Order: sequence, then C-alpha cells, then structure tokens
Amino acid sequence: MLIELKNVNKTYNNGQPLHVLKGINLGIDKGEFVSIMGASGSGKSTLLNILGILDNYDMGEYYIDGRLIKGLTERQAADYRNHMIGFIFQSFNLIGFKTAVENVELPLFYQGVPRAKRHQMAMEYLDRLGLADWAKHYPNEMSGGQKQRVAIARALITNPKIILADEPTGALDSKTSEEVMQLLGKLNREEGVTIIVVTHESGVANCTDKIVHIKDGIIGQIEDNREHRASVFGTSTIMK
Amino acid sequence: MRFDVDSFREIADSLVRNKSRSLLTGFGVFWGVFMLLFMMGGGEGLKKSIESNFEGFATNTCILVSSQTSEPYKGFKEGRYWNLTYTDVERLRQMMPNMETITPTIASWGGSVVRGTYTASGSVKGVLADYNKIEEPKIKYGRYLNEADILQERKVCVIGKRIYNDLFPDGGDPCGEFIQVGPVFYQIVGVDYNSGNISINGRADQTVSVPLPVAQKIYNRGKVVDLICMTGKSGVRMSDEEPRMREILARQHQFNPKDKEALFIINTEQMFALVDNLFTGVNFLIMLIGLGTILAGVIGVSNIMMVTVKERTIEIGIRRAIGATPRDILSQIILESISLTLVAGSFGIVIAVQLLRLVETISLASGNTGGYQISFWTAIVAALLLTALGVVAGLAPASRAMAIKPVDAMRDE
Repeated sequence: MLIELKNVNKTYNNGQPLHVLKGINLGIDKGEFVSIMGASGSGKSTLLNILGILDNYDMGEYYIDGRLIKGLTERQAADYRNHMIGFIFQSFNLIGFKTAVENVELPLFYQGVPRAKRHQMAMEYLDRLGLADWAKHYPNEMSGGQKQRVAIARALITNPKIILADEPTGALDSKTSEEVMQLLGKLNREEGVTIIVVTHESGVANCTDKIVHIKDGIIGQIEDNREHRASVFGTSTIMK
Repeated sequence: MRFDVDSFREIADSLVRNKSRSLLTGFGVFWGVFMLLFMMGGGEGLKKSIESNFEGFATNTCILVSSQTSEPYKGFKEGRYWNLTYTDVERLRQMMPNMETITPTIASWGGSVVRGTYTASGSVKGVLADYNKIEEPKIKYGRYLNEADILQERKVCVIGKRIYNDLFPDGGDPCGEFIQVGPVFYQIVGVDYNSGNISINGRADQTVSVPLPVAQKIYNRGKVVDLICMTGKSGVRMSDEEPRMREILARQHQFNPKDKEALFIINTEQMFALVDNLFTGVNFLIMLIGLGTILAGVIGVSNIMMVTVKERTIEIGIRRAIGATPRDILSQIILESISLTLVAGSFGIVIAVQLLRLVETISLASGNTGGYQISFWTAIVAALLLTALGVVAGLAPASRAMAIKPVDAMRDE
C-alpha cells in the first residue's frame, strides 16, 4: 500500500466543534488512479488536505509508503510535500509574475537544484505536455487548459509518489476538462503515476479507475470503475 | 536560507512587479537618509565656516574691561566707575608670569579717514607692537607697528583692508602715503588683510592702528586704557588665571575681588566652548530629525510589506504547498525588506554626497570655507544602519507571512 489511512478523525474547533472526518479507512496502491467524490461539506477537501500534509488530523494513522505522517514540524512537512506530493489545484495557482517555465521550476528551487539543471528539467516536462513554445509566457497569456497543464508539469517535476488534484477541472470548460482528465489518465497508464482526484463531478470521477464516495465524513462506497461505466449521476447518490 | 543568484532574482522579481509602490515606499527611506547625511554635512560645514571667523585670533586669549562696581567696598559706594590704566599693564606683567603677552589698547570710534578726495569710515586703535600676538595681522603691504614706532611716538599707522580698498581704489602699495584722521596725518607703514569676524574695539578691516602713546596724547586719554588683552602661555587655562587677575586689579582699584561686574573678563576659551556646545546641540537636532525621518520611512516600508504579504497570501500558500519551508518564506520577506531599504538608502547616500560636493564647490568658489562632505565611514555606518533597519522593518511582515498555512492557497479567492 502506498497510502494507508487508519481510522483518521478530524474535528475543527472554530467555535462550534465540527467533526468533519469520522474515522476514515482507506488504502491506495501504487499506480492507482482514484477519485474521491462527495458533496460539499462531505469532508473531501479536509481529507485531501490531510493526504497532502497541508493539515493535521486528530486521531488515527496516515502512512505514505510505510512512513507515518504525524506530528511533523513545519519543516519536515514542507520537505515531505516537496519530495512526495505533487499538487494540482482547481484555480491552477500559478504564480502570476513568473513565466510558465519559472513556475514549473519552483519546486526544484526549494529543493536547491542548481539553476541550469532546473531549467533544463522544467523545459523537458513542458515539452512532454506540449507547452515548450509557451515556456516564456506568463500565466495570464495562456488559456485555462494550458495553465492547468503547466500546473501538472509543476506537480510532476519533483517525481512525486502521489499527485493530488483538487477539482482539477473546476475552472475549465467541458472540452478542456476532458483533455485534462485524459492527460492525467495517460500519465497514470504510461508512467504509472499514482493520482488522486477530488471532485464532485461524476463525469470527472468516471474517468478514473476507482471512485471513493465520501459522505458526512465517512467513506460510503468504493466503486471499481475500470470499465469507466459509472452512471453519470453515480449510483445510489443524489449528486448531479 | 539560500543566498544565491536565485534568491536575489526572486526578490528583484517581487520588488519590480510593483514598481510604483516600491518606488514610493523606498522614497521615504531615501528622503530620510538624504536628509540625515545632507544635514550632517551641512552642519559640519557651518561649524567650519563659523570657526573660520576666529581666524587670526589667539584661542587662548582674555580681555579685561573695567566697568561699574556693583557692591560697596572699603567705604566706597556701589555703582562707582573706575578705569584700567597703563600701570595696571605693568603690574600684571610682573605678577602674572603665566601670561605670554599683556598689551593694552585704546580706541577712538566712528571717525572718518581721508586721503585726498577719498573718504572711508573707520576707527583709530592705539596699540603696542606686541598687539599682533592677540589679533594676528595678515600683512599685505609693508609691516606691522614696531617697538621703534612706539618709543619714538611716530605718527604712523597700519590700515585695514576696507579702508585700503576705499582710499586706494586703484590698488598698489600705499606705504609712505599719508592719510588724515581728524586733525592728524599719519603715514601708512602697512596694510592688514585680516578679515576675521572677531574683533576687539572694532573690526580689523576698518581699523587704523597707531602707536598707543600717540593715540593717548591725541585723544587726551592720559594713562587710561580701554582694554587689556592677554594671551596665556601654551597649556595655561585662562579660566584658572582669572581669580588672580581680579585679585591684582581689585587691590589696586579698591573694589571687591568677588565683584564680577566691576571687572568684565571676556574669555575666548569660553566662547569656543560656547560654539562647541551650540554645535553639539545642532548635531543632536540633526540626528533627531534625520533618524526620525528614516524611522518614519522604515515604518512605511514595514507597513507596505504588511499589505504586500496580505496580498500575496495565495502566492505564499502555493510556495508553502510545493515545499517552501517557513524559513524560506521568512528569509524572502526579510531580504525583500532589506533590499528595498538598502537600495533606497544608497540612493540617499549617493545623492547627499553629490549635493554636498556641489555645495562645497560653490562655497569654495565664492571664497568661503569647505568641509561640507561627510566622511567615508559615516556613509558606511549609514549603510549598515539601513541594513539593520531593513531587518527590523521586515520582522512584522515576515512573521505574518510565516503564519500563512498552505491550506490558504487551496481556498478559492
């Protein structure tokens, strides 16, 4: 198991205590392409934050590659994030005053990779995603799909164990959404990258091999979707 | 913390991104540094220029003036006038071995000096040959009065610069020519170009100096003298000698030696101390204003950085999410702050130095004193100070930036 969650609990204590995750047990193998689906407020974002070591949890255990992720210092957390996890965000989250290639370089900058090496690697990744010509452009000169591909290149460049995608198609039109999902699928199939997508769109979830439904802080159903035939409205859910 | 080209590119990027904001913020610091250094240089130059007024004037000098007594003493009423006399000079010479020179002067004020059709206003000062130890003359033509002039009571004179210019508009050596002051003709033996602004019994450049016995006789002064000027031997502090002078003169003229008003003693040592104190005060004010302005500028930097950090929450969150440690963020913000203050401050230093150079050039060209430029080390200290202030300015924004959680980047704007 690459990722293992054992009875993970999380409560937010902002005024009224809010028990968001109520004992999550989940295992994800290397090379899987998984989606986590749930309505807003179901706890899927919290789960993603914990998976991405962006937030801590109160109870239970979380292992990445057999390593317990608990009670880390800010520095260790930053280090693990840098080396083990690649993030793809809904709103791309590229840095606006940096060019595409500089954005892709950034994780390597924090690893202390020398400038020339970093640049060369970033160009390689952009090339793989078909953006070599756009390397010198700023994010605001690119389309949504291009920005998301830059973000994917940035997530991939550190060769992480897991790619976490938070609503990767949330800000894209349906055609571009499909392209992005196909790209992720291709990366998963051809390069064996482990990808976890958090979404509330069943169409997006349908592109993945496994759909984890989360509802009210617990995991409902884990759907095997290798046939990609999950109903557009999911099964036994009331989601869109 | 990484100190390499990349760190500085990161900083340059984020500062250049908001050109006008960086510029305006930096201006506060620039102005502070400029003000401080320019005023420091200006103050120093002013001090030099004031000190130049004492030029040609012995620094170890005191001048005795008789005045009204303020206390009854030995049967005399208060409010009595008394006069210094020539015998006092002799007495002081014998009883004050620590003095280098003791010399009396008398003056007749407000006469006009005439040569043919030319007239100048000036005053006649009767002096002895050793008066040049008190007010050092800058002899342009001829010589100063000498012992022979005094002994033989020659009607000769040394004239000041303004009188020379007024009476001899064509220039040239005036020695041997005669000038008329009141009813008396004097032969010019020298021209004194001293133009220091301290002067005793009238400005040196408007003075006709004649032998003391001549002046005494012509102006019916008898043995009375106006002033007794003294210089101490080197290492003698005039203020230490004062009580002794009072003692000697009080006994002779029957006034209370503790009566400060009866004998007025002008001590240049005290005057120099006064000027020094004045400039200590001026420097303190300059420091206060300059440092205050810099501080205001630095607080401005801190303030703007706070806003910047707030604005960059998402960017910082992204950086944290992809692996920046809190320390990376801290060093970035502080280095930004240092760069902003240091670059702005350096401009302040450079412009202040250039402007002071201009002031110095103008001042020297118009015949005044220089000495306006700040020293190299002052500039270095200013730069170090700016770096330190840059760190201080960056502290609050940096701590705010460090508090940003990577989760913040995930939230929708």
